[in-house]
Amino acid sequence: MEASEHTNDFIPAALAAYGIEADEIELAVIRAAHQTLWPPILELLNLDTGEVPLERDPDLSQAPPSQ
Amino acid sequence: MSAGLDLSLRQQAAAIAAGDLDPAELLDATLARIEERNPALNAVVETFPERSREMLAAAPRGPLYGVPIVIKDEWPLPWRAQRFGAAEMLAPAAPGESGPYRALRDAGAVIVGVGNMHELGASSTGNISVYGPAHNPWNPERCPGGSSSGPAASVAARLVAGAVGADGVGSIRYPAAYCGLTGLKPTFGRSAMAGHHMAEVSTTIVSGALCADAADCRALDSVLFGEELAAGEPKGLRIGVIRGEVSEDVAPEVREACEAAIEDLRRESGGEVREIELPELAAATLATVLIANSESLGGVTPQRLNELDPGLSPLGRGLLKYRVLVPAMATIKAGLVRTMARQTLARLFEEVDVLACPTVPAVAPPLEAPMVELPSGIVTADEANVRGGALANLTGIPAISVPVGSSEGLPVALQLQAAWGRDELLLDAAEALERANGRRWVEATPPALGAEPLEA
Repeated sequence: MEASEHTNDFIPAALAAYGIEADEIELAVIRAAHQTLWPPILELLNLDTGEVPLERDPDLSQAPPSQ
Repeated sequence: MSAGLDLSLRQQAAAIAAGDLDPAELLDATLARIEERNPALNAVVETFPERSREMLAAAPRGPLYGVPIVIKDEWPLPWRAQRFGAAEMLAPAAPGESGPYRALRDAGAVIVGVGNMHELGASSTGNISVYGPAHNPWNPERCPGGSSSGPAASVAARLVAGAVGADGVGSIRYPAAYCGLTGLKPTFGRSAMAGHHMAEVSTTIVSGALCADAADCRALDSVLFGEELAAGEPKGLRIGVIRGEVSEDVAPEVREACEAAIEDLRRESGGEVREIELPELAAATLATVLIANSESLGGVTPQRLNELDPGLSPLGRGLLKYRVLVPAMATIKAGLVRTMARQTLARLFEEVDVLACPTVPAVAPPLEAPMVELPSGIVTADEANVRGGALANLTGIPAISVPVGSSEGLPVALQLQAAWGRDELLLDAAEALERANGRRWVEATPPALGAEPLEA
């Protein structure tokens, strides 16, 4: 499926599933945001993070505990 | 009568402390200057002369006694709720004593006005606000940067010598870069944050200073940190230059000025330069955006999104609705990327003291169409700017933007980042850079204020 087809299908379906209304201008903004962000989001979803232990409630004021 | 208006922040504080400058006269002169210069800039969206006079009357003889300060529309004041640059915030807002307000009050400073900001803090440009955009004093048709647009424009136009902003994804450093100022994004949790409407949920936002130079930032940030940020000499600085898109897909004049500044800093500190690879940077950038966006959704319901205030911009409304559609799995992955990036940085900072790259890859774009031309093509300023601005917010490390050149008569800036808690080192490095270039860029003032146009 082409990216634009995916966007055309996904956006209205997702908004409808949440019960969120959007006018034409908002839809154009949402489509533009999706076309920009979706490819890197897909890359992120496919990133292999299997070996990375999630740092639960990290203390961002300090370096992570040494491994 | 200038009454000390054009002095630096620390000079104002010293002159008042020495009895050479009357703080009441300085306050009146500041308010008069705002009245004179602000209409062309829209940097300050509200003044409250009686409140300011009351603050001065009650001010303790602290380190900033009598010094006028502008504070971003992100921080509540006892007499004014923040509006976050928006017709609607999607979070409760009420007047109150925010952390930065208390810190300023206890230091004897006088809040003279509220600085404009980009709507909902959602852009690096500052071109959309419920108040109308702030304008860049270097060229009023250009973006001042966001989201701390008003604080930056206020200092660049010398309405005040210092302003308090907030930085959730680069929002102090972008406007500092566009307006030719120094702006520090502190280590997460180190500066005053109480009273922010997202204080309990945000893992990226910090308060911080925007000033003409690093010494003024040190003075104002010491107040926001609640501790003295001691000055030192950055001897033998190990400078890591981040390779890749963030340093290379950059407008040629910006790249040239930043490379020259890195060499200046190396020479001034007697240090060394190493090239650094950060392969996680692209994922880290996206992760920052996803985390920051998801943290703002706590009070949002579909019904609320269907009843958004029509005063919100169509762009703002559309982006809010899009945030809901991002899959939860992406935000979970973003948390893992944060872990990876923090581990990578912890290792890197054993080998280098600071990481350097351009703060933004091109100078301030037009307000009407905030796009920038890079070697890879024309992209939105936000898409370009976030590449360099996000990492510090994701990982918690401090970062500073320092003016280092000009292009098209507009400022160019270098960003330095350091390990957690090494905010002082960044200020030291920024001061070393100022010495190396003869303070040329921190002392430059916009042509509208009577100065010569900037030459590269």
